[in-house]
Amino acid sequence: MTEQRPRAITRKVLRSLTQDSEPWLSCDDCFELLDEYVERRLADPGDVDTAMATHLEACPACAEEADSLQALLTSNE
Amino acid sequence: MSTEACGTTPDDTGQGGDPRMTRIGEGEPGRAPSVTDPEHDPEDWVLALSIEGPDHQHALRRLHDLLLRAARHQVGRMDRLLDGAGPDVADELTHQAADEAMVALLAKLHTFKGRSRFTTWAYKFGILQAATAVRSQMWRRRQVVLDDSHVTVDLGPSVEEYAETADLARAVRRAIDEALTPHQRRIMLALLVDEVPIDVLAERLGTTRNALYKTLHDARVRVRADLTAAGYLRAGTGKGNDR
Repeated sequence: MTEQRPRAITRKVLRSLTQDSEPWLSCDDCFELLDEYVERRLADPGDVDTAMATHLEACPACAEEADSLQALLTSNE
Repeated sequence: MSTEACGTTPDDTGQGGDPRMTRIGEGEPGRAPSVTDPEHDPEDWVLALSIEGPDHQHALRRLHDLLLRAARHQVGRMDRLLDGAGPDVADELTHQAADEAMVALLAKLHTFKGRSRFTTWAYKFGILQAATAVRSQMWRRRQVVLDDSHVTVDLGPSVEEYAETADLARAVRRAIDEALTPHQRRIMLALLVDEVPIDVLAERLGTTRNALYKTLHDARVRVRADLTAAGYLRAGTGKGNDR
């Protein structure tokens, strides 16, 4: 059992609650595309993929995994 | 207000290409030639992992090494979340994640289309499993309470735009109370206010990360529609319509 944190809308929470998550992309779709997406971004940092970028802004777990994959590939170079 | 306790849980190398490597697939049909150098990756991972023989075992070992590398990398990134659990726990999580990633990857081997390097494709399985394992470990003694009760607004020290932001926050709070279904409200508050990781919440509720993200997405759409109708967001779809 852990202490319950006070439930409050902070500035960070407010941004997250009102995040525009359109166009729709599921976590499974994100995982499916992640390897190609990260390789493209490494090859061309200006590469734009609106659906992936939107999902990664809206889903912290997928964002962590994308950042991690990019860091791992960079460290291998 | 309703609450629902969910309980606690118990306790590159790219495609190879090394000239010293025997080229798999050039030998007898249906049978891969043997690997001569144990330190090098198969040139055709899918073939080597699919066909029984000495190269198969070699490929499995090399694949496990890749997944271990990815899992170790991920656990290292998140070790501050393990709350002083110690190197033994981190090591156990790493190996467990690599083993589980191996099973998951081999089940999806037929879906690899070569649109990225095989190693990149493999790494993502190790990273996913390790991240999930760390988040699960981090929350193993914490109870998740699905609570749709009212939330307060706490925007911190007053700043120039405080009044406008506070106004928006109150409107968001109202939209959450009035525009969402009870299920959407509980999931949105658990994920975004209580910051329960999505895979931990999925595990506790016996559902999937995908299903919870869909609920969250639908809730966000409703909140944004309500805020748009109330004049807090600009009408229209797509990016850049926030006021």
